[in-house]
Amino acid sequence: MNSEQSVVITGIGVVSAAGCGTEPFAEVLATSDVLRTPIDRSAGYHLANSSRTAVLSGGADLSDWISPMKARRMSQPSKQAVAAANMAISQARFDPEDLDRAAIIVSTSYGAAEVTEKILRQAMLDGPETVSPALFTESVANAPAAQVAMALKAKGPNLTIVQRQAGPLIALAHGVLAVSSGKSSIAMVGAVDEVNPLMHSILDRFRALAKPDDDGVETARPFDQRRSGFLAGDGATVVALEAETAARERGVRPLARVRMTGRAFDPTAPRTSWSRDPGSLSESMAKSFLSHDINPAGIDRLVTGGCGTKPGDRIEGLVLRSLFGGSSLPPVLAPKGVTGESGGGFLAAVVLATIGASFGPTPGFENEDPELGIVPHDGRSLPDPTEVLATGFAAGGAASWAILEPA
Amino acid sequence: MGESGTKGEIKNIIVEALNLEGMTADSIGDDDLLFDEGLGLDSVDALELVVSLEKAYGVKIESDDATRESFKSVETLAALVDQLRDSSLT
Amino acid sequence: MTHDSRVVITGIGSVSACGWTANDLHSGLLSGSSAVVEPAHFDTSGQRTKVAGEVPPAPESIIRKIPEWATLSRSDRFAVAAAIEAVEQAGLSEGLPAAAVIFGGSTGGMFECEEYVGRLLCTRASHPAIRLLASQQINSPGDAVARHLKLTGPVQTVSSACASGTLALGVALDELRSGQSDVVLAGGSDSLCLLTYSGFNSLRSVDSRPSRPFRADRQGLSVGEGAGVLVLENLDHALDRGAVPLAELLGAGASCDATHMTAPHPEGEGAATAIRNAIADAGISVDRVDFVNAHGTGTPQNDVSESRALHSVFGERAAVLPVTSNKATIGHLLGSAGAVEAVSTVLSLIHSVIHPMPDGGDVDAELDLDIVLGSPRSVPSAGVAISSSFAFGGANAAVVIGGWEEGSAE
Repeated sequence: MNSEQSVVITGIGVVSAAGCGTEPFAEVLATSDVLRTPIDRSAGYHLANSSRTAVLSGGADLSDWISPMKARRMSQPSKQAVAAANMAISQARFDPEDLDRAAIIVSTSYGAAEVTEKILRQAMLDGPETVSPALFTESVANAPAAQVAMALKAKGPNLTIVQRQAGPLIALAHGVLAVSSGKSSIAMVGAVDEVNPLMHSILDRFRALAKPDDDGVETARPFDQRRSGFLAGDGATVVALEAETAARERGVRPLARVRMTGRAFDPTAPRTSWSRDPGSLSESMAKSFLSHDINPAGIDRLVTGGCGTKPGDRIEGLVLRSLFGGSSLPPVLAPKGVTGESGGGFLAAVVLATIGASFGPTPGFENEDPELGIVPHDGRSLPDPTEVLATGFAAGGAASWAILEPA
Repeated sequence: MGESGTKGEIKNIIVEALNLEGMTADSIGDDDLLFDEGLGLDSVDALELVVSLEKAYGVKIESDDATRESFKSVETLAALVDQLRDSSLT
Repeated sequence: MTHDSRVVITGIGSVSACGWTANDLHSGLLSGSSAVVEPAHFDTSGQRTKVAGEVPPAPESIIRKIPEWATLSRSDRFAVAAAIEAVEQAGLSEGLPAAAVIFGGSTGGMFECEEYVGRLLCTRASHPAIRLLASQQINSPGDAVARHLKLTGPVQTVSSACASGTLALGVALDELRSGQSDVVLAGGSDSLCLLTYSGFNSLRSVDSRPSRPFRADRQGLSVGEGAGVLVLENLDHALDRGAVPLAELLGAGASCDATHMTAPHPEGEGAATAIRNAIADAGISVDRVDFVNAHGTGTPQNDVSESRALHSVFGERAAVLPVTSNKATIGHLLGSAGAVEAVSTVLSLIHSVIHPMPDGGDVDAELDLDIVLGSPRSVPSAGVAISSSFAFGGANAAVVIGGWEEGSAE
């Protein structure tokens, strides 16, 4: 099963609340600058006392990476995915001809939320015959992946993964397999999401969002005793994968190597939440490490999906504790405290953590949860990591993880 | 004048409904080819236009009406719209 | 390409307009009537067209097997029912836990989500029940299957519109060949909903009559709903536990047109590539293929580009290679189409019969294909079939499925 072929990341593109590009995004992670902005509640979807903010990327200026004429019929996720893909390709310095058979794998949780809402509004309020055909073509979950393929003229395998918080690392696993199996010389792996007012109001009604604290600020508090929910976030990240030997031959310095990926499911999780019992996922992760002959003791950085939800952070914390046996955990990063939940932020943070980018203090963390005993990163300077474990545990039970190392 | 009014309206609809950012209605000539090598609109744009024109003018554009000929340019579209409006009055 | 590991199909399950089992699908496809009719529960008021491939009410015997029935969305129910049927047939009720679930879908619980949005928008309800949204995600049916069967292996859903189901089979095949799993439940589930029904109508892609793929007077597709699940296993794993395979998943192929969001490549190039890739992956010659379970939606464009693809792959043989489309009977099941059509292909191989499309209209002679219309055709023993799906965004996928008989293991 394990291929000889080592797979590396040679390019990355990010669209986030910080704008277009990896640098502004890295800056935001380094300073823990939570770019929350008010969500538009004028449509009346929200309850009166709802959460009111999110970390939104819609204002990012994409014009350097996708022309307005090309973007005119695209949903926000599609446009952002194309822009991010173009950034990643530019960094990887691929020849356009090499992209002909590139595999494109994109993960999304919600798809094109705004477009879907618009169609439903048209159909319900004005009648089905007023539904806009251009909107419908952008409403399919694979629209971003298809638009990336068209922009890159990539005719290789094209896959869209929908698996909530576990999606990005599942997509990464597929990208690695596409390259290591020899099926594709290049894989473009992306994660994209859009949070619009309707989606935000729904997350709020599920009581999933961070509540305002005493000074009215909604703060996600990963692993904190007082955590009350996550900050919704959106945006896109695309990474370019290729065989390490190919990258070196091209004279391109890889950013990171993907050493291992894993997936599992916890059937005891309720549909919209996480399980109370970490046993199943702990066992799955332990088996995965064993079968890959990897000792957790070698991991010196954790990039968790911890985002401030009570049950989600809890199970992730307990499973990680179990994985590391009695030992203390390596430094725990929880980038979703800054980037918000969903979109490409997590995937980008995983890559940045691997190349040794600096991360500021975990927003909102004040007191450890005694049940977890996890103290996430406080912003101090850390030595460059050698093995990074990234984990994505989805509401509903799916889970994925990956180990990356600097290349 | 009635006719140029319709053409002007249709140009605005084209720019708005098809999200032609950076274009103004004035920049579309009455006889400019709209599809393929012309303005570069495609089959989905055509369907989009049908929906928008139906909404704007309260007419029904059947597939028989929505031909390559009638959708060739703003001129031909205006003629189609006028014809449909007239026939719905009788 | 050769593989040490062969992958077989040991169980199938299906829910469609023909009924809640794979046998219902088989008899419905053989019956000669289309199950695309005016739906009893799905509301088509204000829609340009009035027919659909709606799943009939579930029999008590199925509901009894699913204690969580009341909490599941429509598409969840189809998925779980089909999975139960497949797993029972495979004789895998015990010792299942490590199995993976690879599903394809495009709607998830959108039907129920529309109920929620409708209450918000139309009745201005301030607190519509959020349980209507609990299964909204496209990955909900696949997750529901894993939850019902208490599986702990990898679970994922792929969503590439109408190619999802066939793509899921390809992903499952990779999963098994790479040794990451020994058993995979591959399938898909979708339900009728306002979004897709209106959406396809907005593209003027829907025929007001039940669709007539490959006919000269075809005018579009019919939207349908349902689920298909196949139990896929590594051959050794199946034989070790004394299971008798129903069929073999020989190969899978995929490609992307990368040209247009909705229109297929006019020459069917991407589709041809996917089919060729599948045949190459199966390690067989093109001449081994005995029939094609086509994408065959019945839209003027698809059937042309699909026929060109078939001519490109099969050359002169294309004119005499039997081609059928299940969509004429059950409608286009969107994300789950590939899964249900794979089940139908396995049924064809087991029963040595190619299901015909219901009679109606002349075949489009310009396509120059051998269309199975009206009467079923026989399949040679250990026959080989292609099942293909082509989607929005130019995603194309195909699988090669072979019949199984005694001695096939050698």
